[in-house]
Amino acid sequence: MTATAPPTRQVEPAEDAHAAELAFLAAFDQGRRPPGWRLTPRAAVTFVMGSGGDALPLPGKVAGLPARLAITPKFVGDRALVERAVVTLAGERGLLLVGEPGTAKSMLSELLAAAVSGSSQLTVQGTAGTTEDQLRYGWNYALLLAEGPSPRALVPSPVLTAMRTGAVVRVEEVTRCLPEVQDALVSILSDRRISVPELSGTDGATVHAAPGFTVIATANLRDRGVSEMSAALKRRFNFEAVGPIGDLAAETELVRRQAKAALDRVEAPFAVDDVVLEALVTAFRDLRNGVSEEGWAVERPSTVMSTAEAVSVATAIGLADAYFPGDRDPLSLLPGHLLGVVRKDDPADAARLLGYWDGAVRRRAEGGARAWRRLWELRDVLDS
Amino acid sequence: MVGQLADHTAPHLIGVRHHSPALAAVLPALLDAAAPEVLLVELPGELGQWLPHLADPALTAPVALSGAGRDGAGVAFYPFADFSPELAAIRWARRNGVEVRPCDLPLASRDDHRDDHRGGGPRHGSPLADALRRTVTGRQGDDLWDRLVEAAAPGQAPEAVRRAALYVGWALRSDSAGPDGDGVDPHDLRREEWMRHAVAEVGGRRCAAVIGSFHAAALLRGPDGPREPVPPADVVTSLVPYGFALLDERSGYPAGIRDPEWQQAVLAAAGDPAEIEAAAARVITAVCAGVRRHGHPAGPAEAREALRLSIDLARLRGLPAPGRGEVVEAVQTVLTHAEPLGRGRVVAQAAGEVLVGHRTGLLAPGTPRSGLAPAVEELLEELRLPGPASREPVQLRLDPLRSPLDARRETTLHRLRALGVPYATETATTGVGGGDTLSTRWTVKWTPATAATLPVAGLWGAAVEPAARGRLLARRADRAAGPGHTPSDVLTDLATAAACGLPEVVDEVLDDLATVLPAAATLPELLTGLDLLDRLRAGHLPGTPATVLDGHPLLVEELESAAVAQVDGLAGSHDPADARAMVELGLRHDTRGTALRLAATLARLTTDGAPVIAGAAGATQVLLGLATPTDLGARVGSWSDTATTPDRRDLLRLGLTGVLAAAAPLLETPEALNPLLDRVEALADKDFLDRLPALRGAFTTIGPAARTRVLEVVEHRTGARVDVAGAPDPEDLADWLAAEQDAVAVAAAHSIPAPSPASPDSAVARPEQAEQPAPDVGGLAAGVRWRLVLGTRGDRPEGAVRYAAALDELYGRERGEGAAQGGLGADRSSPFPDVREWSDELAELFGDGVREEVLAAAVEGGRVEAALEIDPASVRPSVELLRTVLSLAGGLSESTLARLRPLVARLVQELTAQLATRIRPALSGLLLPTPTRRPGGKLDLPRTLRANLATARRDATGRVVVVPEHPVFRTRGRKASDWRLILAVDVSGSMEASTVWSALTASVFAGVPSLSTHFLAFSTEVVDLTDKVGDPLSLLLEVRVGGGTHIAGALRHARSLVTVPERTMVVLVSDFEEGGPVAGLTAQVRELVTTGVTVLGCASLDDTGAARYSASVAGALVAAGMPVAALSPQELARWVGEKVRG
Repeated sequence: MTATAPPTRQVEPAEDAHAAELAFLAAFDQGRRPPGWRLTPRAAVTFVMGSGGDALPLPGKVAGLPARLAITPKFVGDRALVERAVVTLAGERGLLLVGEPGTAKSMLSELLAAAVSGSSQLTVQGTAGTTEDQLRYGWNYALLLAEGPSPRALVPSPVLTAMRTGAVVRVEEVTRCLPEVQDALVSILSDRRISVPELSGTDGATVHAAPGFTVIATANLRDRGVSEMSAALKRRFNFEAVGPIGDLAAETELVRRQAKAALDRVEAPFAVDDVVLEALVTAFRDLRNGVSEEGWAVERPSTVMSTAEAVSVATAIGLADAYFPGDRDPLSLLPGHLLGVVRKDDPADAARLLGYWDGAVRRRAEGGARAWRRLWELRDVLDS
Repeated sequence: MVGQLADHTAPHLIGVRHHSPALAAVLPALLDAAAPEVLLVELPGELGQWLPHLADPALTAPVALSGAGRDGAGVAFYPFADFSPELAAIRWARRNGVEVRPCDLPLASRDDHRDDHRGGGPRHGSPLADALRRTVTGRQGDDLWDRLVEAAAPGQAPEAVRRAALYVGWALRSDSAGPDGDGVDPHDLRREEWMRHAVAEVGGRRCAAVIGSFHAAALLRGPDGPREPVPPADVVTSLVPYGFALLDERSGYPAGIRDPEWQQAVLAAAGDPAEIEAAAARVITAVCAGVRRHGHPAGPAEAREALRLSIDLARLRGLPAPGRGEVVEAVQTVLTHAEPLGRGRVVAQAAGEVLVGHRTGLLAPGTPRSGLAPAVEELLEELRLPGPASREPVQLRLDPLRSPLDARRETTLHRLRALGVPYATETATTGVGGGDTLSTRWTVKWTPATAATLPVAGLWGAAVEPAARGRLLARRADRAAGPGHTPSDVLTDLATAAACGLPEVVDEVLDDLATVLPAAATLPELLTGLDLLDRLRAGHLPGTPATVLDGHPLLVEELESAAVAQVDGLAGSHDPADARAMVELGLRHDTRGTALRLAATLARLTTDGAPVIAGAAGATQVLLGLATPTDLGARVGSWSDTATTPDRRDLLRLGLTGVLAAAAPLLETPEALNPLLDRVEALADKDFLDRLPALRGAFTTIGPAARTRVLEVVEHRTGARVDVAGAPDPEDLADWLAAEQDAVAVAAAHSIPAPSPASPDSAVARPEQAEQPAPDVGGLAAGVRWRLVLGTRGDRPEGAVRYAAALDELYGRERGEGAAQGGLGADRSSPFPDVREWSDELAELFGDGVREEVLAAAVEGGRVEAALEIDPASVRPSVELLRTVLSLAGGLSESTLARLRPLVARLVQELTAQLATRIRPALSGLLLPTPTRRPGGKLDLPRTLRANLATARRDATGRVVVVPEHPVFRTRGRKASDWRLILAVDVSGSMEASTVWSALTASVFAGVPSLSTHFLAFSTEVVDLTDKVGDPLSLLLEVRVGGGTHIAGALRHARSLVTVPERTMVVLVSDFEEGGPVAGLTAQVRELVTTGVTVLGCASLDDTGAARYSASVAGALVAAGMPVAALSPQELARWVGEKVRG
């Protein structure tokens, strides 16, 4: 009823957000493509990693495309990893991206799917409630009871659709599915077909995968309550471990950007100091890596300390500052927030945070860094 | 510029890297083309004499040339393999009869430079190299040379390879010399000047130089000045066989290369891309076979995929054939399953075997003898130690800190021992007060075995020092590549390296120390490590200066933090040694301000810990100023006040034992002990005597010397010596006491209020009371009481002889400082003739309740006969008693055991019955398929019809059609009847209580029909006691407690019992003090978890819920997917029940 049009989507899928780049790269590299691919493998790597700031020239003029275009880098990480991932997909083998939560695995899988088949929409979101229907096929039960089994009553899963069209299907959080559900993927990945016994005797009895069909799955390594994958399924995937962002500055920048975006949504100004952000990200990285920026040993808590959590802490501090301005200095909120992040399931983790304060924080405070001196003074917050 | 380098003719430049299959393959062709008359190779002049032997066709690479000054300075080391371009050049020269000249700076002129082969690699600021790197893809850490020369070489012309090599060398040099670089190392400049002279000396003859490509640009011009004079120096050189295992860069040996076997394969392919692909296929297949040999699946499908991936990766990166990087990446991606610890290690091990290889070299016949054996003989002669000429063993007493000669002897003997050469054995010495000694004793003898092992040891190096260093580094690298380091390995390495006087090795091992110990060590190991570091810092180890620690300024602090993290795991300990370790740690921490974490942990332990630990934590709090001595004193006093039942008296004994672990420092603040002292003196006789065994038990743990100090404090307090003349006659006193207590008892029986002896009128009424030394409390004077509590054996306080004798029987044997004193003097006491008499005496003196306690304590102290005195019918069943009786059972004869059996049987029966009633309810229940609305199982047609009848209607043809709005499904029914429970129980000494509980619990589980229960007892071996699981008595009598801990082995056996992983539970009861590498353990756990087995780690299985365990290893297991908790049997049963019910 208002005059302003509401935003249609919170997040644009990769193929829409980067439609221009995809079209450009398809025209730019005319080399040999694996069957069913929209881009050459090399162009797919360039799409994910960016062109290093250089504007790529188009070989010939194509209507609707600029003559030169610089491809933006979308994934902060190891180029060799992306190369291996692309080559894996080019061999029509399953790709499994594993890593700690918050390491942009899903984003990478989305980018790869968009680059290879032009769509990242064929997705199964794995949960403990995922059933085999979502990996194979289900039935429209009303039709099934009324008419009996028929291709019309069959409800295809994203996997089945991808097999028919020769596309990449993404299975998010595959380890959250129950093991018996995961195992449905085993025969799909080895036989490359799904048989529908209910339709036996008809054309629809077996669905064969078209060339280009493959699976990108993602899995978290450190989440609790996940079901381990069976060895049989593991053998049908190539594994790539996606690590956390390697560089402090890049991670701080990412946290700032995302926290700012979160505050923008509620139209609050983001006024968290760089010093606070850097201290926050440093603490997260130290606790996650088990070693501080200076190379001191830090005992790792069993809780996940992902970039995503750093963003939520930064957002919380920003919100506190926006709604309770001048109440308390943002730095003084940090220890409490860290304790909240760390103290999730293992009570010993709180002790480990104390150990971090004893070691790295105190040494930095003794080294004279102001922010860290303040944090050391705030140690009483932790000791409760 | 590169053109200028390539076209240069005097000399013709061939820039190489020391190991480079690409160049070695094309070198003969390049030299053929250049056809030089003189060949210059980058070797120091002194090594020239070895060149004919090196070129000998009968020689099999790898071999190593080395040279060093006699004083060990200027060590140079040149390993050669078939893929070393220099060796290829030297061999070509011999075939073609061309003269070879070494052109590098002589060793004699060198300063102490070690690594001189790569030249100045890019350290920071390398714009050119970075730009080059950007043009090629690949992993970030990849060597520029590998990318540009090696990977690009297959299928290229020899000349193109030469140009690429010169190009890389020039780029690296320009970066070093450029504005952002560090400048070329002055040592390299000296060497290049020398090379220019060597070129100039060749004169007009056609000449080719095979030199490091980094140096090529320096040879474009002539010498700058006159040749520098060579100082006269005695240089020892040698040519020895070498091995691929040592040649691999990761072995820690200098001038190596990664994966020599792969390099060899590349050389054999001679630049043909198809051949290299075939080599990659061979390597990948071999790795898969290796992985299979380790029991992990890896079939041809995986091998095919890995090969495809490596070839496609090479294609994507624009390379002619897969290089080492692509092969390794492909193997990683396909085979490791992103499990760096489990499968990753297996794959790494298999890949190591395949890629590194085991080739060893062989010298040509007729090569002169050189290397370790002559060097050792010479050194021994110099140190005046017995050499080959002597046959008699020699005793040596060395004082390395005073005499430099002794210091050298000491390090040499240690080095030889580290090399495994049987020559010297060290005799243990003990210092004053149990401290470290500074002098050492050795027995030294040259035997034929010494002579025989030296050439073997010579593989590690050509002189004692480098050989010892190599041996230690190789051992370390071996472990790193295989199972991983254990804390005790690292500590041994550190001690050995420090004793051998190898500061560089110490430096590296200290790195390990910083990573391995915090992750896996137990508290005692950490304290050992800290102690070792203290000795290093004090400079007590000759040859290893205290300055090695300068590179690790935070190490001590890190170990201390790790030790603090371990303190959490002590919560359930009953061992006074753990209490002492905690106090020691506290004292260490005191010196640098109190840490938050320790404070929090101590606070928690004082409330939640087992009594010993709670006491020690309280004492440590006082020492660190976190609590006042008065608080602690009040707590100790309260223990004594409430010690009215056997349980509470146990608590008093254990708690006090913990507090007294800090006895020495605590005595400086008497407030902490005052309340206890007050109570001891103020208690009524009866109450005091009740508590006496507990008090004495606690004070025994601290050793006689400390006890004497306590006694001094007490004497100072009471102001009276204990053996004052005129004390009342002890026999009379005892009679009075007995009479009075009888009278009071009679009075109480007739409901007559007993007169309080403390009231003034009674004092008047009974004047004899006033004559007693402590009239207001009873018959035993304070001094006498203290003698009873603190006395040493045979020390009979006047007036309490019988009490003291009865207790001496129990606590008579001394341990600790001062225990040996008076050992020669005659024991003045007359020991009790036998246990029965003693037991009667106990009953008479202390009463029946206390008697049982004392007897139990005696059993604990190893007095088997005491156990036979306990009456099975009336005994109070407790796990502690059962545990102690069982611990004795191992050493008993069959006949004694038969007499003990009724007691054990009764204890087991009672305890099992108690346990069963408590845990059975948790195990009942069974599941059937249930209807659900969630789609997933089969469609439940009847239910669906019933649920949707409301929507039934007729269609156009008159048929009834049901529109199923709410379909109903069946969940998968799970059978609960075939779960398998595997209890793996650690029986390694420290776990007895949990062992007993586990056996009892297992027997209850064995009675549950829906479970099949397995019982594995393990220490370093695994015993499967499943056939006895239903009968806890025989189960317990079978278990032998003791030995080390190898959890990984037990889990491996448990894994072999798994048939249906989804319905198998593995419960590990252990203190997690794993004796092997932690990585192997976590791999086993991961393996179990991956197959779908439900696993649980019990840090302890008893009714307290407080455990003593290694917190670090437990943490690693949690990370590997095994939840760890301290459980009571009920909780375990509840857990099992939940899992079975699903």
